[in-house]
Amino acid sequence: MTFKKIRFITDSTADIPESLLEKHQITVVPVFVNYDGSSFADDEKELHREAYYNKLQNIRPFPTTSAMPPSLCEKAIMQVAEECDHIFIVTVSAKLSGVYNAFRLAAQKLPSDRYTLIDSLSTTTGLGWPVVIGAETAERTGDVQQVIDAITRVRDATRVYAALGTLEFLHRSGRVGWAAAGIGTLLQIKPILKVEDGEVKSLAKVRTFSRAVDELINAAHAHAPLDRLVVLYGIDIEGAYAIKERLKDIAPPDQTFIVRINPAIGTHIGPNGLGVVPVSASWKS
Amino acid sequence: MITRQVFRDNANMMADGYLVKQLFGAGLQWLEHNRDTVNRLNVFPVPDGDTGTNMHLTMRSAYLEIAQLEETHVGKLSHAIAEGALKGARGNSGVILSQIFAGTAKALEQHERITAQAFAEACKLSVEYAYKAVEKPVEGTILTVSRHMAMAVEKNYQQNADLIVLLKRMVFAGRAALRRTPEMMPLLKKAGVVDSGGQGLVYIFEGMLRALCGKDLSAPLLEVEVPEKAESWEDALVPEDELGYGYDVQFLMRGSELNIDQVRRDIQAMGWSTLVVGDNKLIKVHVHVHNPGEPLNYAIQSGAALDDIVVENMQRQYEDYVQTRQIQNKAAAPRTDIQGVAVIAVANGDGLRRVFSEQFNAAHVISGGQTMNPSIGDFQNAISALPNEDIILLPNNKNILLAAKQAAEHAGSGKRVHVVPSYFIPQGIAAMFEYANLCDSGDCELHEVAEAMTSALSHITTCELTYATRDVDLGNVRIEAGQIIGLINDNLVTAGDDMALVAADLLAKANVDRHERITVYFGSDSSQRETEKLVEHLQALHPKLEFEIVDGGQALYPYIISVE
Repeated sequence: MTFKKIRFITDSTADIPESLLEKHQITVVPVFVNYDGSSFADDEKELHREAYYNKLQNIRPFPTTSAMPPSLCEKAIMQVAEECDHIFIVTVSAKLSGVYNAFRLAAQKLPSDRYTLIDSLSTTTGLGWPVVIGAETAERTGDVQQVIDAITRVRDATRVYAALGTLEFLHRSGRVGWAAAGIGTLLQIKPILKVEDGEVKSLAKVRTFSRAVDELINAAHAHAPLDRLVVLYGIDIEGAYAIKERLKDIAPPDQTFIVRINPAIGTHIGPNGLGVVPVSASWKS
Repeated sequence: MITRQVFRDNANMMADGYLVKQLFGAGLQWLEHNRDTVNRLNVFPVPDGDTGTNMHLTMRSAYLEIAQLEETHVGKLSHAIAEGALKGARGNSGVILSQIFAGTAKALEQHERITAQAFAEACKLSVEYAYKAVEKPVEGTILTVSRHMAMAVEKNYQQNADLIVLLKRMVFAGRAALRRTPEMMPLLKKAGVVDSGGQGLVYIFEGMLRALCGKDLSAPLLEVEVPEKAESWEDALVPEDELGYGYDVQFLMRGSELNIDQVRRDIQAMGWSTLVVGDNKLIKVHVHVHNPGEPLNYAIQSGAALDDIVVENMQRQYEDYVQTRQIQNKAAAPRTDIQGVAVIAVANGDGLRRVFSEQFNAAHVISGGQTMNPSIGDFQNAISALPNEDIILLPNNKNILLAAKQAAEHAGSGKRVHVVPSYFIPQGIAAMFEYANLCDSGDCELHEVAEAMTSALSHITTCELTYATRDVDLGNVRIEAGQIIGLINDNLVTAGDDMALVAADLLAKANVDRHERITVYFGSDSSQRETEKLVEHLQALHPKLEFEIVDGGQALYPYIISVE
């Protein structure tokens, strides 16, 4: 079997740390955030995430997010195709976004044996980790099937959990279903969300943010020992470091990253939200 | 405070005036504690839900008469009790009770101490007086219960000259007679209750027994008489007289040469449920009439001085009673759509009830709380009304915990019932969050849920603001009845006359700045607007905390505040 040169394309919701993108030569196509009558690419140039979160509270009407046009996907695919034998395109869950479909349409320009299109059934580093570990596997084996196996196993071993500082942003964005019946009740709640089977669901509802963070810790512990870990934040970087500290016993420090969450999720859960994305070490066995 | 040892020593040689006074106080206290239960049983002669209140007022009036008395002569003390009871007698049951004490006083007149024999004689004469108080004695009432209690003493006093033993026999006989009252009076059976006056009498002696045995008088009763399930209590209570239930008229006549037999005959001719008791100087009149003017005019024209006049519209009380019970029953309809583990919670106030039932899917919310403790029977009825096999009880009050535990232990076959020992509403709500998190999908395991709910109880601090019901000495701080008091987990920590100041001090003492979220449940006596003003004030003092206002609608507590 010949060793194939394999490259990865994903979307900007994957939240892969910059250092890993460079190391594995991963191509990222940005999704778009729409507000103030314009559309901004989530690429840290048109849209700077930190600045965006700082002003999110005051943006009226409330921003929306959208998939990139297929033409942008096509451009990326064609460019990468020239440098490799096989392309892996891994996207945010098709149930959450039109990104998968945009890539599906764009990829039809290539012969079907030149690429593999995979729905991560997740988002943020629930998408990012399968991509990174898939890339590592590709570099080691050069084998398409082994990469598919690795991505599938990592996908099953990775979970996304997010704690919301407030329900306000879910409310305003209209994604209230994510908190499942948590809105319009007599007592305010702080939901903890999880991504499961490609959808955002409610994991638990608590009364205080500190309890919500405790739930994140508990959720991460349920997957211990961890192979990798990402702690997600919007603007509360201190909160993110505190979570990292509390999980240091179950996650290898050199495989733990603190990442600012993408606006496709952050817009809905609000800038003060925090999250964890643990990868259970069980994917290796 | 009397130690158990002193009681024992005294009990062995029977009682002197000092002990009688303590026992009487204990009877009053226990009746007071169970007053609302007695009120709820009240369907005869008029379903106006006030028997417990009336008996309590009568007992209290009697106790006030002896409270300051340093009297150890039993005869003299009994006389004072009888006089106080007569003066304060309220309603049918109150008047009968006053006659029970009058009979006791008569029998004990010459006794410095109560001996077993004197006690038996007193019981016997009390019953005679009680029966004479009523024109046409009806069985299945307080009269029946008092007679059986007296008979138990009569049967036992020669073999057992010990006050504890005799009181025990008395209380057991009273309970047994009480259980049979629905068989004797069809109205009770149809309404699904035991006789209220009889229950009140049992509570009084039960309180004495509990004091003698050194038991806590603030704890709820373990052996509540469970009323049979009513079939059509509404129909049973419709007045036979098409004019309705009429008016309840009560007054005292004072004079020097009153002719009680004449007064009794004249009053009896005016109405029904007549009670005329007393002597030639003081007569207590109680009568039900359609025209309250008639007995009042009669009394004034007789030349006697009138005192303590009470006129109550019984038709309206009856209508209120029916409405209240209907609303309670309606609100209390259990939900049968809950899969898996079901929760039965206790709460009072519409808002709090809705939090439990609507937000958290409690299958059933029993009305109750600090002043209205649901009985074991209430829990048992709720348990058997649910289709679920696995049930969790959430008492939300320390005084209700025991009843919940008893109900859980004696749950019918096929039911597994756990009690999550919540002492306060906020604890109950914290527990419900766990319940919702585990059970919203319908797939959960009883032990696991109960454990998670129980562990949530400690995450919450409960602050309460209410009014002092009596004067209290707290070290060097004196709190007067009516002042605002602040409690943290049931401990009194602050008091004052200004709600905002007391509330601020309460939160400071609860160390709220170490926490994150304050929820203010305002009660039926507070408004949304004044609560918002209060919270604005508190928010300014604690800018980092999240405040939330919820309309709880609870009675007695203007504010229940959870700190988490």
